[in-house]
Amino acid sequence: MLLSIEESQKLLSQYGLLFPKTAVYGQHQGVSFPVALKVDSSKIVHKTDRGWVRLNLNSEAELTHTVMQLESNLKGVKHQWVVQEMVKGVEVIIGMKRDPTFGPVIVFGLGGILVEILKDVSMQLIPLSRKEALRMINSIKGKKLLEGFRGSSSINKETLVQALIQASKLAEQEKSIVEFDFNPVIVNQQGAYVVDARVILC
Amino acid sequence: MLEIFFSPKSIAVVGASSKPKTVGNGLVRSLLKGGVFSAATNKPFKGKVFAINPFLKKVLSLKCYPSILDVKSTIDLVVIAVQSKLVPKIMEECIKKRVRGVVIVAAGFSELGVEGKKLEEEVLRLAKKGKIRVLGPNCLGIMRPSSRLNATFGPCMALEGNVAFFSQSGALIDSLIDWSIDKQYGFSALVSLGNQADLEVSDFLEWAAKDKKTKSIALYIEGIKNGQRFLKAAKKVSKKKPIVALKAGRSNMGMQAVSSHTGSLAGNYEVYQAAFRKAGVHAADTWEDLLNAAKTLAWSKRTKKGVVIITNGGGAGVLCADHCESLGIPLVPLKESTVKALDRSKKMHPAYSRRNPLDLVGDALHDRYEVALSTVLKQSDVGGVIVIQTLQTMTEGIENAKAIIAARKRFGKPITVCIMGGKFSHPAVSLLLKEQVPVFDSPSSCARAMRFLVDND
Repeated sequence: MLLSIEESQKLLSQYGLLFPKTAVYGQHQGVSFPVALKVDSSKIVHKTDRGWVRLNLNSEAELTHTVMQLESNLKGVKHQWVVQEMVKGVEVIIGMKRDPTFGPVIVFGLGGILVEILKDVSMQLIPLSRKEALRMINSIKGKKLLEGFRGSSSINKETLVQALIQASKLAEQEKSIVEFDFNPVIVNQQGAYVVDARVILC
Repeated sequence: MLEIFFSPKSIAVVGASSKPKTVGNGLVRSLLKGGVFSAATNKPFKGKVFAINPFLKKVLSLKCYPSILDVKSTIDLVVIAVQSKLVPKIMEECIKKRVRGVVIVAAGFSELGVEGKKLEEEVLRLAKKGKIRVLGPNCLGIMRPSSRLNATFGPCMALEGNVAFFSQSGALIDSLIDWSIDKQYGFSALVSLGNQADLEVSDFLEWAAKDKKTKSIALYIEGIKNGQRFLKAAKKVSKKKPIVALKAGRSNMGMQAVSSHTGSLAGNYEVYQAAFRKAGVHAADTWEDLLNAAKTLAWSKRTKKGVVIITNGGGAGVLCADHCESLGIPLVPLKESTVKALDRSKKMHPAYSRRNPLDLVGDALHDRYEVALSTVLKQSDVGGVIVIQTLQTMTEGIENAKAIIAARKRFGKPITVCIMGGKFSHPAVSLLLKEQVPVFDSPSSCARAMRFLVDND
């Protein structure tokens, strides 16, 4: 079973994990543009693959237009629309799976398509200490991207360390979670924001 | 608890055979003579050996009994080498005889599917009932050179030493023993774990932690049954004695269909590496790496500082420095005071490198190595030294080896040695091995060994 966007954000916030300002469409007055629009439905697992996520919408008019356009394809499917502030930074992935032999494993790597092609990831069993979390970050080959490469700004490593530790706590305490993927997590100077979370319960 | 397996006073071989080239014959021969093949390392077992086979009167020099129940005196350890379906009957007899330890060499259990698994469960049930600990089934057996115990059907007795080797493959142990003797590589124990129906790798880790003969532990692992127990045991043991593990199964052949990125990224092999890290276990990449690491860790102290390379060949020094860098071994710059002391010694060649790698130049005799070693090891931030010797016609292999041995004793810092050569370098290599100095024949393997000694976490 997959948690909805609202449910996962509620759970994640209990563990001090950050996400960009998000609201249900229609109640999104506090969310500033540009925004992302996402469908929120337990019936739709691969929302990006199906085109149910639209990024960089710059105005209210563009947002409304996009909702109306997409809505026509979703007749009969229970869903709602979610509006999320766009965040700039480096994309990373934080994930967890339960290994049948050793228990929960936390995986960290660069996000986006890089993670799939380069498999540049590090992993650790829980519980994660601060030192282990830092070592996870520093042991990926692409760590230079996190340290400000060719003029791009560096990230706040400490918030990433905290996010990894919180993910470890989530895995440790919420035994009903079989697997989670925070992909992407966008990290910048301010924090590490979980932009999209797939939380799978047993 | 496991002492009965490592120093039994009496052993029975069930399924003893008088036919050469059989397991039942090999086991008896190994106990009586120390090995199937003749070797200088062979030592006959000092305790009592009983051959059990209802169809034979005699096996080698031994009277053969129909059953262990026909043996009057007590039996500490029973080695079973009969068809798998007969094993439960033998186990019943072991219960009656109040045997404490059983090694089931016989195959045909859980490795053979559902029927075999049932048979294994039955054997385990009987073992629990009789409070008998079981090694195996489906294993080569157990060897403890210091107890003159070779309860295997392997080639011969291994040299006595301080590496404990626990393996999920018996065949690898056979070849390891053959390989190790010429390398003067010794073992405190060699255990073939088999299917680990009862005793598992964690039990042996806990035993090795307390064993006085064991200085390091090498593991060959295909799969671990009880992950949490392994983590707990390895974490505890690795604080006392170094553990190195080689995990087989890096390919993704057997990987299940996965539903997410995390699932596809965290393959079996990678999760094992994470588990090793968590438990403080060194991960070896290859078979050679495992053996070199276990030996090096058994023979050397570790250091938290960096190293200096001392060489009589510039090329070899640079190659080694390259390997050190890619392995994350810090190379310590020579201090000005160190270089001045080297200059003052008047032993250096005018063109010596004056930096790390410290190139002593090809015509270096042993006194140049001697001065270099003592001067460099005196530098307080130097944790250890890699000594490289290429073979020049004036090179003094034996004297160099003696200088290395003396320097190690004097400074107590780890030294790994690379003697590049073969035929003409053998005496020096042999001397170093005799003194338990880790010596290798290439800059890469020498640097890889040093990686295990440098704790720069």
